[in-house]
Amino acid sequence: MSTFPEPVNLETITGNLADAVLMVDNDKKIVWLNRKAEVFFNAALDEAVGKDLVEITAIKRLRYLLDDVFEQQEALKCSYEEASVKVKKKDERFFFKIAINPVFHQGNLWGALVQLTDVTRFHELEKIKTDFVSIVSHEFRTPLTTIIVGVEMLKEGMLGDLTPRGKEVLEAIGADCERLNRLIDNLMELSRIESGTIYVEAESTDIADLVEEAVRPLKIQADKQGVELITDLPPELPPVAADFNKAVWVLANLVGNAMRYTDPGGTITVRVRQRGKKHFFSVEDTGCGIPKEHQEKIFRKYVQVSGPGRKGAGGVGLGLAIAKDIVMAHGGEIWVESDIDKGTKFTFTFPVYQEKDSITLPEADQ
Amino acid sequence: MGKKILLVEDEKNVILGVRTCLDAVGYDVEIVENGEDALNAVNREHPDLILLDLLLPKVDGFEVLRVLKGDPETAMIPVIVLTAKAEEEDRQRAIDLGANNYMTKPFKPQELWDRLKSYLSE
Repeated sequence: MSTFPEPVNLETITGNLADAVLMVDNDKKIVWLNRKAEVFFNAALDEAVGKDLVEITAIKRLRYLLDDVFEQQEALKCSYEEASVKVKKKDERFFFKIAINPVFHQGNLWGALVQLTDVTRFHELEKIKTDFVSIVSHEFRTPLTTIIVGVEMLKEGMLGDLTPRGKEVLEAIGADCERLNRLIDNLMELSRIESGTIYVEAESTDIADLVEEAVRPLKIQADKQGVELITDLPPELPPVAADFNKAVWVLANLVGNAMRYTDPGGTITVRVRQRGKKHFFSVEDTGCGIPKEHQEKIFRKYVQVSGPGRKGAGGVGLGLAIAKDIVMAHGGEIWVESDIDKGTKFTFTFPVYQEKDSITLPEADQ
Repeated sequence: MGKKILLVEDEKNVILGVRTCLDAVGYDVEIVENGEDALNAVNREHPDLILLDLLLPKVDGFEVLRVLKGDPETAMIPVIVLTAKAEEEDRQRAIDLGANNYMTKPFKPQELWDRLKSYLSE
């Protein structure tokens, strides 16, 4: 074994790291930074020491993330998206993934090590994917127009008589066109959310109107399916702070899901209750339920749950991912409780409207 | 006499679909496949209503709207936009330019008939 000719020090170890690494004390003042951080933030070590971390990096979010780490005395636990930032430097944009680990001295919280990994390339790929999804869904609309118009005219017998079997086949084509159409809408919605071009404008919204708008179009289908669709709202609920169309979308999506998994004779209940400054919206069914191991996963993109008793769902697993994005953009939460063969209950919260309430989706890349 | 509708659309299959849809309920249909021809046809044919795609060769649908709605001679002709562009900013832009209605593709014949009826029944 050969030995390094001089004592190994921090600079030797971190000097060629591709990540910017900064150490701060528990007052968020810089005590040390590596070469990459010096270059990137244009601050020499001796100038930077003693300065505020946010002052040197200009990444405001670090302050809140550090507060979290100091409070919990644990490493930053958040997803890639939540812990990435956009940094502008000489007209160039960089994206960094943030990792923060607390540093202890003699058992006491002393400070933290902040590590910034350049993920710009990864972001570019995400953008390409998002744009692609948008273009594809867009390109699907035109051919689908010809198909839907043709199918509808044929179904109505406006282009001649059909055999009963012919009619049945056309009904099936029509239903699948609807499905494709929904899928395209979902993909569009998702690409808008991902590209950060969607924003939520929360206004004072009447809850009865919102629920009615979401449930009404589904009542006919519920009747056909032999499922009872109940709404349960206390009278005189104060308004909710919500973007009407998006909130309707979330609720309709949950009820639509419930219908897919509920057999004839079952019940779906849409309920709203106020607790403090939050409205709790729930959609409860008497369907087949979701296995415990899947309950966490279902809010992720492109996840579909299959298993005994689950009928062919007919989606690509975007609905709940979008619903979660929308709810979170309102400052709410969404979760699921479910028992196999008993039913499933989705609940989400929206804030009660207060004067001067205006929530806009935080820019995804802030 | 049937009302005259000018369909401005460049996709052959969509033209067939929409034309079939309009024939079925007895409208007269005139078809042009780009924005430039659309502007000429409006002055020549004096349609009762225009169905306008936005992505068109030569002069695009937004420009057609701008010209038609800026000219007192043609500003009163109702224009229903029929487009695959589903983004809110496109809808807003078309409405700002004076579009009377905005339909996103795909649509069902009934939706089209309902809207046509609301502009053409008097």
